[in-house]
Amino acid sequence: MNQGQPDLNYELYKLKQSFNKNKKAFIPLIIALLLAVGFFTSYYTVEPDEEAVVIRLGRYLETTQPGLHFKIPFGVDRVIKVKTKIVHQEEFGFRTQSLDTRRTTYSSRNLDEESLMLTGDLNVAEVQWVVQYQISNPFKFLFKTSEPVRNIRDVSESIMRRVVGDIMVTEVLTTGRVGIAGDAKQLMQEVLDKYNMGVLIRSIKLQDVNPPKKVQASFNDVNAAKQEQEKMINQAEQAYNKVIPEAKGKAKKLVSEAQGYAQAVVNRAEGDADRFSEIYREYIKAPEITQKRLYLETMEELFSRMEDVVIIDSKVKGLLPVFGKGITSEK
Amino acid sequence: MKNSSKFILFIVAALLVIGSNSFYILTEGQQAIVTQFGKPIGKGTTEAGLHFKLPFIHKVRYVDKRILSWDGSPNQIPTRDKKYIRVDTTARWKIVDALRFIQTVQNERGAKARIDTILDGHTRDVISSHNLVEAVRNSNQILDNLEAKKELVEEKKQKGEVADAAVIEVEEEVSGEIEKIRLGREQLSELIVEKADEELKALGIDLIDLQLRRISYEKSVEEKVYDRMISERQRVAQKIRSIGKGEKAEIEGRLSKDLNKIESEAYKKAQLIRGKAQAKATAIYAKALTKAPKFYEFMRSLEAYKKSIKKDSKLILSSESEFMKYFQ
Repeated sequence: MNQGQPDLNYELYKLKQSFNKNKKAFIPLIIALLLAVGFFTSYYTVEPDEEAVVIRLGRYLETTQPGLHFKIPFGVDRVIKVKTKIVHQEEFGFRTQSLDTRRTTYSSRNLDEESLMLTGDLNVAEVQWVVQYQISNPFKFLFKTSEPVRNIRDVSESIMRRVVGDIMVTEVLTTGRVGIAGDAKQLMQEVLDKYNMGVLIRSIKLQDVNPPKKVQASFNDVNAAKQEQEKMINQAEQAYNKVIPEAKGKAKKLVSEAQGYAQAVVNRAEGDADRFSEIYREYIKAPEITQKRLYLETMEELFSRMEDVVIIDSKVKGLLPVFGKGITSEK
Repeated sequence: MKNSSKFILFIVAALLVIGSNSFYILTEGQQAIVTQFGKPIGKGTTEAGLHFKLPFIHKVRYVDKRILSWDGSPNQIPTRDKKYIRVDTTARWKIVDALRFIQTVQNERGAKARIDTILDGHTRDVISSHNLVEAVRNSNQILDNLEAKKELVEEKKQKGEVADAAVIEVEEEVSGEIEKIRLGREQLSELIVEKADEELKALGIDLIDLQLRRISYEKSVEEKVYDRMISERQRVAQKIRSIGKGEKAEIEGRLSKDLNKIESEAYKKAQLIRGKAQAKATAIYAKALTKAPKFYEFMRSLEAYKKSIKKDSKLILSSESEFMKYFQ
């Protein structure tokens, strides 16, 4: 033992010696040890969020639910626990960096390859999304494919590009979101079902969907242009609404005035006509004298109003050469 | 006593060794080939569980039974319409003939090398013999959508929502034609699978599918595409702005038109009303006056004198006038 270079034969010899010496004590010890190991490896517990797949001698036996279960020890039964109740999440185009801080932080560094994709009009859009899935069949999940999570990632990337590849960039960025997620979910499930790998896609959610950073400004400018357009139209409408109702009112006023005038003219005419008729009725009874009376009354009224009335005797001639020869009398 | 116990011990040990060598356990997800001095026995075992074999004479070789993943390295491929793209593919495959698999490629590493060459080659062939759109789009849905949009625009135009219609129209404008596709993405993948299938069958491999995981522009092409997108957006923005201006001018025009119409119509109506009233008045006068035109002339003259001669007028009256008849 103390030798620098241990002699193997010597060691073996010593072991044999001690074994022979304690033969009686060794055998029960080994049996006890085996029993203990057997006991402690003959049961297992399945947590509430898990299911367990039991493999007996390499062959699938059963899937067990949460609780305490027994199994055959010494490697005859193998138990593999799978978290089936948990909704697993795979992120594309970004990674959740930290959930510890008050606000969850994300990183999208160097993930352009994952998120940049071609749209149907051969433009480029940056799409970030999340796939949530559950393991619906733990046995299939474990034994049907070699890398189930990688399959999910590969298929998801491929399907997302297929869906986005079928619509225009403007639609991807605006109205297409819901449709994209729904289509992608359905198509992805179809492909995964073909692999028969026991995975159920719960949902696909689009996160940020943007034009590539370099062209973002020009996309914003289009939105600004739309706002400007609306503003311009509104302003013009405003001016229209300011002027036209007023003009309509004025037009109505003009018409009303005309109607008032018409009424007045007609009334006046009727009044005049009536007055004339009335006078004439009396006049016709004694025309000569009435005419005379009216004439004189009028003249009386007229001349009495005047400041200056010059009467010229027609026999006096040349009095006022300004007036010329004959001064016409008024009738 | 000592000798016999040693002998028993030897027998037990021998039995244990032989026993443990006369069976093998095949785990789920595995398949096995049993060989006898190197010569394969039977078609191979695929059932998981406990299996028996001849000890020492039979040897067992295990291979995977699960669906395996293959990840291709991204390739730069020019499409038929001379666009340079990077194509990144993945595939899923499984070993269907374990014996042939072992004979031809031995193990998964060997298989990967062979799959690399086969799939890369066919991917290159298929992509480069088709236009880019065939690898991007899967259907002509985009064209159908454009048709539907056009109808919507027409409808809006008919309803008089011209500005909305114009915006939709301009938004949907794309530089260049939207090409019709003949095959599409999925069918291209299937074409690659179809072509590779034969060669992979010979290796005991079944190719389940091939996914065009990523297709992206070459870095140098990417810049140009971005520039095109920018100019396209600028054009759209400009057009929207000019539509706005046009719309504004149109409203202003409508304003002036409506204003003129309202004002002139009112004038016309007013004049008509006045005219009619005057006509009516004329008729009334005529009707009353024709009964005694001479008398009217007389009356109206008197009235006119009264009205026309002002207070401070001067009058030179001849003594011969009617009024002065008795003055002489």
